[in-house]
Amino acid sequence: MDDAAPLAPASDDQIRDEVAGWLKANWDPSVLTSAQAGRGEAYRAWIAKVVEARWAAPRWPVEWFGRGLSNEQARIVEREFARVGAPGTGQDRTQLYANTLLAKGTEALKAKLIGPILRGEIVMCLLYSEPGAGSDLAGVRTRAELDGDHYVVNGQKVWTSTAATADYGMLIARTNWDVPKHQGLSFFFLPMKQPGVEVRPLRQITDESHFNEVFLTDAIVPAENLLGELGQGWSVLQTALAYERSVMGEGARGPRSGVAEAAGEEPLIALAREAGVLADPMLRQDIARVIAYKKLNALNTARAKADLAQGTSSPVMSLGKLAMSRILHEEARLRTAILGAASLLEGPDHPRAEDANFLTLNAYFTSIGGGTDQIQRNIIGERVLGLPKEPEVDRDVPFREVRGG
Amino acid sequence: MATISADERGALRDSVRRLLADHSAEADVRRAMETEAGYDAELWRRLAEMGLAGLVIEEDFGGAGAGPLELELVMEEAGAALLCSPLLASGVLAAELLRALGDEEAKTRLLPGIAAGTAIATVALTGDAGTWTPEGVAVTAAGGPGDWRLEGVASYVMHGQNADVLLVLANASDGLGVFEVDPAAAGVAIAALPTFDHTLRLARISFEGAPASKLKAAGPVWDAVQQALNLALVGLSGEQAGGARRVLDFTVDYAKARIQFGRAIGSFQAIKHMASDLLLESESAISAARNAARALAEDAPDAEAAISLAAFACAEAFSLTTATSIQMHGGIAFTWAHPAHLYLRRARADAQLFGPPAYYRERYIQQLGG
Ligand SMILES: Cc1cc2nc3c(=O)[nH]c(=O)nc-3n(C[C@H](O)[C@H](O)[C@H](O)COP(=O)(O)OP(=O)(O)OC[C@H]3O[C@@H](n4cnc5c(N)ncnc54)[C@H](O)[C@@H]3O)c2cc1C
Repeated sequence: MDDAAPLAPASDDQIRDEVAGWLKANWDPSVLTSAQAGRGEAYRAWIAKVVEARWAAPRWPVEWFGRGLSNEQARIVEREFARVGAPGTGQDRTQLYANTLLAKGTEALKAKLIGPILRGEIVMCLLYSEPGAGSDLAGVRTRAELDGDHYVVNGQKVWTSTAATADYGMLIARTNWDVPKHQGLSFFFLPMKQPGVEVRPLRQITDESHFNEVFLTDAIVPAENLLGELGQGWSVLQTALAYERSVMGEGARGPRSGVAEAAGEEPLIALAREAGVLADPMLRQDIARVIAYKKLNALNTARAKADLAQGTSSPVMSLGKLAMSRILHEEARLRTAILGAASLLEGPDHPRAEDANFLTLNAYFTSIGGGTDQIQRNIIGERVLGLPKEPEVDRDVPFREVRGG
Repeated sequence: MATISADERGALRDSVRRLLADHSAEADVRRAMETEAGYDAELWRRLAEMGLAGLVIEEDFGGAGAGPLELELVMEEAGAALLCSPLLASGVLAAELLRALGDEEAKTRLLPGIAAGTAIATVALTGDAGTWTPEGVAVTAAGGPGDWRLEGVASYVMHGQNADVLLVLANASDGLGVFEVDPAAAGVAIAALPTFDHTLRLARISFEGAPASKLKAAGPVWDAVQQALNLALVGLSGEQAGGARRVLDFTVDYAKARIQFGRAIGSFQAIKHMASDLLLESESAISAARNAARALAEDAPDAEAAISLAAFACAEAFSLTTATSIQMHGGIAFTWAHPAHLYLRRARADAQLFGPPAYYRERYIQQLGG
């Protein structure tokens, strides 16, 4: 970054005034309401502006687009952004690629990519899962071999979301086959736009194609794109997974129809009102239950955020993804019950059904993607509650000798 | 009704299973669901040849003269194979409505075609509200003998777009009636509805002065409709139970074969316990469906309650089994190419087809005196 002079420490009030003043001078809500909101030029330009003003990742050090703010002060910034509905801050909590890179990347790679990632200029993907290694991610068989100043990568990845448009993928690959499985892994930023990378879209049950198969054939990754030490990939992966899971615990894709719910009203209440079943006592109980799940998860998340310094994970935080999975599946069931026969339908003429259908299917994105609910429960049991691990038959044998799936 | 021995029933199950294994395998289902009609005409012809189109139609009218027990059994196989066919709409719901009404002329004229599978009949019952009760009927009839005219809308009509014969519920000044309508007649507009379950065909039909003839009814019209719905619910329960069991089977097979952490995923308690819970669900569904079939076949005093029980127990077992199955498979079942979502879609549709589980649970407690 060009301007790395340390910022003078500021009081909470000064921070609040500064961010509020800056938003007043710069924020234009039409960025979100314009036709191409979320993807378009105006949105991109806004994010770039937020990055330039050091609001995108205020907890981060000044050398890296930040302000070195404490967690409390960064939350003041987030609240001010939220108050006016402006996106772009909080990336120091939620931007999994940038955070992983900042924590574990080489100086050269950080200098090259952190800015573009924060500004949303490059698309990323996660090259973790393989046909034989999903929950058991340490069992990956994609290999990376050093050849001069670069690694050569061969193998196959699967379920890789956004691979088709990605510029870089965070890759976990095996660099040593003679040690137990967790110890022979390394973590890379793999350039996706190269001849050795072939991406084949997969059709999902939602009838979309966000995820892909990725075939890696003598793909090249510069040595400086290694994150962490060689053979320390598992620990880098844990950092990245913690960010991914905490983000998945806070939210998920909403309805697909694009039909707005009545402003101000709880969407489920609005839906039941519209369907004429708001008086049904059984549905009322269910609606209250699901809204409560959501509210409690939001409260849990807020408490976890307030409690913790950046990058650490809390017991409450690891519950978020599991809680979100239940919320999504239960909401899908409830929306179906509210709609009744109308849930038989689909398509643009039936937007409410479309929403319920999509949620019914896409809820699995949260309950399978990023580690399944079952794995998440194991993690909570073992790492949070300290319950003994199940014996793992292949934990301590050289990976060469491990039975494949 | 002809009496059918247990041996004959076993033989029936075997031959249906064989036929469906050959002609309603997953690839066949996917092909059929992409067609406009939504079913394979050639397979339908074969099913008819085996006597399945007219399974529950009396022998006098070209049917097999079988009853709820055989229907339930055939539908278990149909559900397991995700069979795409107009059987439930035509050979069960419409045929049983004709029988229940007891209009001899209409039976003589319509049932042989339905039994032979050459004519597709369906019942247009509910309106846009989608409630399977007399209050749900949203078509009115005006005029009189020789000149009935229908107005209004019927929706969620199974195979409405494929039907040769429409049996339409309508309110006339003298009460509810069943009217026969030629789908090609002026004033009848049939629109195919896009369905979440691609193996299902539903239509919305609007009537604007559509000419109709009223079928004679030997007793109260809704009683006849309920009789037809009862038989259709037995069939549907069988489909759900058979579907749930098949999904459990392929899921357990996968749990034995898929290795993670150096062992079969089925060796993890998380997976094992889900599978065990689903076994309880799907076995209970089979019991409920067969019990409903038996009760209806025997005309037992508890038949209506047994049907309500099966309606919600089987609907929920099938829904839960398909939903859990996807979770148990992991990422592979999030793909279009995997069959799990086809069953999930079918389960979700079946759970609404003649009214949701909540409706049948309420009916159940009422039937128990609550
Ligand atoms: C929509 C979607 C998007 C995805 N995007 C990406 C992506 O961008 N990049 C990427 O790398 N991956 C991605 N994934 C893959 C995802 O991370 C894996 O699907 C997931 O980790 C599960 O792995 P698997 O599919 O191989 O299932 P498996 O690991 O084979 O699991 C099958 C079943 O066994 C259970 N199981 C496995 N091990 C245990 C155990 N020890 N204890 C109890 N139960 C166990 C699982 O919970 C599951 O129910 C995505 C998946 C989905 C559905």
